[in-house]
Amino acid sequence: MKTNKSLPYLFIAPALLLFTLFTIYPIFSSFFLSFQSMEGGKYEFTGLSNYTRLFGDDIFWKALGNTGVILIVQVPVMILLALVLANALNSQLLKLKGFFRVSFFLPAVTSLVAYSILFSIILQDEGIMNTILGFFGIDAIQWLGDPFWAKVSIIVAMTWRWTGYNMVIFLAALQSLSREVYEAADLDGANRIQKFFHVTVPQLKPVILFATILSTIGTLQLFDEPFNLTKGGPADSTMTLGLYIYQNGFEYFDFGYASAIAYVVVLLVGILTFFQFKFTGDKS
Amino acid sequence: MKRWFSLISFALILTLVLAGCGGKSANETSGSGGKEVVAWAWNINVPVLKKAAAEYQKENPGFKLKVVDMGREDVYSKLTTGLQAGGKGLPDIVLVEDDRFQGYLDAFPKAFLNLSKKGFDKQEDKFPEFKRALLSKNGDMYGFPFDAGPTGVFYRTDYFEKAGVDPNSIKTWDDYIAAGKKIKEKVGVDLLGLDFNNDDGLFRMALTQQGTFYFNNKGKLNLTSKEAKKAMELNKKLKEAGIVKNTVGWDASISALAEGKVASSPSGAWLFGSITQQAPDLKGKWGVFLLPSFEEGGNRASNLGGSNYVISANSQKADEAYKFMEYFSTTDKVQEEAMKGGLFPSLNTVYSSKLFTAQDEYFNNQTIWKTFADEMKDIKPVNFTGNYSVANSEAVKAVSEVTNGKGVTESLEAAQKRLENRIKK
Repeated sequence: MKTNKSLPYLFIAPALLLFTLFTIYPIFSSFFLSFQSMEGGKYEFTGLSNYTRLFGDDIFWKALGNTGVILIVQVPVMILLALVLANALNSQLLKLKGFFRVSFFLPAVTSLVAYSILFSIILQDEGIMNTILGFFGIDAIQWLGDPFWAKVSIIVAMTWRWTGYNMVIFLAALQSLSREVYEAADLDGANRIQKFFHVTVPQLKPVILFATILSTIGTLQLFDEPFNLTKGGPADSTMTLGLYIYQNGFEYFDFGYASAIAYVVVLLVGILTFFQFKFTGDKS
Repeated sequence: MKRWFSLISFALILTLVLAGCGGKSANETSGSGGKEVVAWAWNINVPVLKKAAAEYQKENPGFKLKVVDMGREDVYSKLTTGLQAGGKGLPDIVLVEDDRFQGYLDAFPKAFLNLSKKGFDKQEDKFPEFKRALLSKNGDMYGFPFDAGPTGVFYRTDYFEKAGVDPNSIKTWDDYIAAGKKIKEKVGVDLLGLDFNNDDGLFRMALTQQGTFYFNNKGKLNLTSKEAKKAMELNKKLKEAGIVKNTVGWDASISALAEGKVASSPSGAWLFGSITQQAPDLKGKWGVFLLPSFEEGGNRASNLGGSNYVISANSQKADEAYKFMEYFSTTDKVQEEAMKGGLFPSLNTVYSSKLFTAQDEYFNNQTIWKTFADEMKDIKPVNFTGNYSVANSEAVKAVSEVTNGKGVTESLEAAQKRLENRIKK
């Protein structure tokens, strides 16, 4: 039976084609776009002007700073939370496992807009959150109107949405760990916390790295939450790179500049991912 | 041989898929060149268009209109991407609001049909000057004026009564603030709701009232003018008087009105629709008075919002679309229909209709539409310019800073400086 060497290509052709059309082509065309500016309804090549403009753009730097702050706070908190939850839900003692797993995972599959509206209702000045705080005698907080709390609100919303998603990834990995190592740890008299940090976490390292990189990329492209909750306000305190790209393109009709910012994000994702690999020393 | 065969099949599949994706011209999908004229609009505008088309068909049996109902933001993003792609995939007719109009005209100068050249110059005197100005470039009109947002203060008659405030005595913004303090004291509700950190609607209304905007009528940045300072000062005074409820987002502002948490709302006439729909139980408890002015006897007319229709320059059915839209925008009957949905017409021939002298039951039998109609001629034209969106984002920041305690002059000067950097033209 002779197999036709080129037959596989035929099978992957449709997928490859769509990928080329809708992914590769836009990647290149937006790269070229980032060197162009619109003059009187037509695009003209303006060299590096979009990139040089970036350096003097306060809002860009502010957006970069905000994105950085959110990244540094939100990703570790969420990853740790997801790990702890996954560990708890993996416990032999727990009843109703399925129910809990589904509940924690649900936020990740709710509609973005619906959940943002929900959060904006909860976080209104006279919303549920402040009512609860008032119940305990705490003063109302301007969740969306104060630069600091607006950032906190975005971080809380993101954590609510994505923790369950990462938890499911960790759960899948936990299921594949061998029982023997744990039995050995039991014999050595390790308690639960020691087991978690010295047995579970080291074995999950590649998976944690994977989840961290995914979350980092996601946070660098953060758009939905600020767009729906704060529109980047108050005074740009929740402006993110993703939102700024959108505004430049769709509100200021400056797609060239928007593409330039997008490529800066690509570069950042590349650099961060590289360092994450390097520092976590993934030898596998 | 076999390899050739598979390569050829590969190439065949490629061409098929490509033809499927890009080969279908936008005209076939969008309808221009097809059987019908296609329009994009949102919300309450959709039934108005459909009814007008049905009416128009009686005289023009061959005419067909397909109205695609999408969200406002979707219309804008699809319109923007379509224009970026050189007008591909666009419908014949699109709804565009006042504040966005010059931005599109400026960025895509050849994208819209020049209506004056099509004969609309004969119709221009049927519309207020401020509308004509914002739809024109180099003396030619590019948009069909549709609804307008003549402003007024919608207020709760029962709260005002309880506090012993006579709305007729409110002539200046300072009177309004004093009334607010009284209401807060006697009734315990705030005077109005504002979204201090994300919206500058009141700032814009107060600018328009004084006949200027972010830019002066020559298109120069105007944020440090005395008018801008007054308008900004107003936000600060209101905030410091402690009579404003901070309502984050549109939904919150409407529910504050519906739940009776605020006693008034300075807004465009279109608020009528939102109030009557969201708070039917408050029937008979509302009234309207004109915006207070900055000095006694000053201009009390202003505008907030409003929309218009454009025809794509690429439209294969530009003539049909033009004729229909001309009928749509200049026919009293159509505009009366729009009026019933709470859209205030900018066509001045319709103001003599019975609708405009009618007493409105919801508004305690006040003739509110007459109030708005009389106001129209006093609304001053302002220059939005193509940089409205950028300027708006900086103005919103300034309002947020000022209401959080920063000095008015300082904040406006900083905003002006930031804008000068951002607007390269």
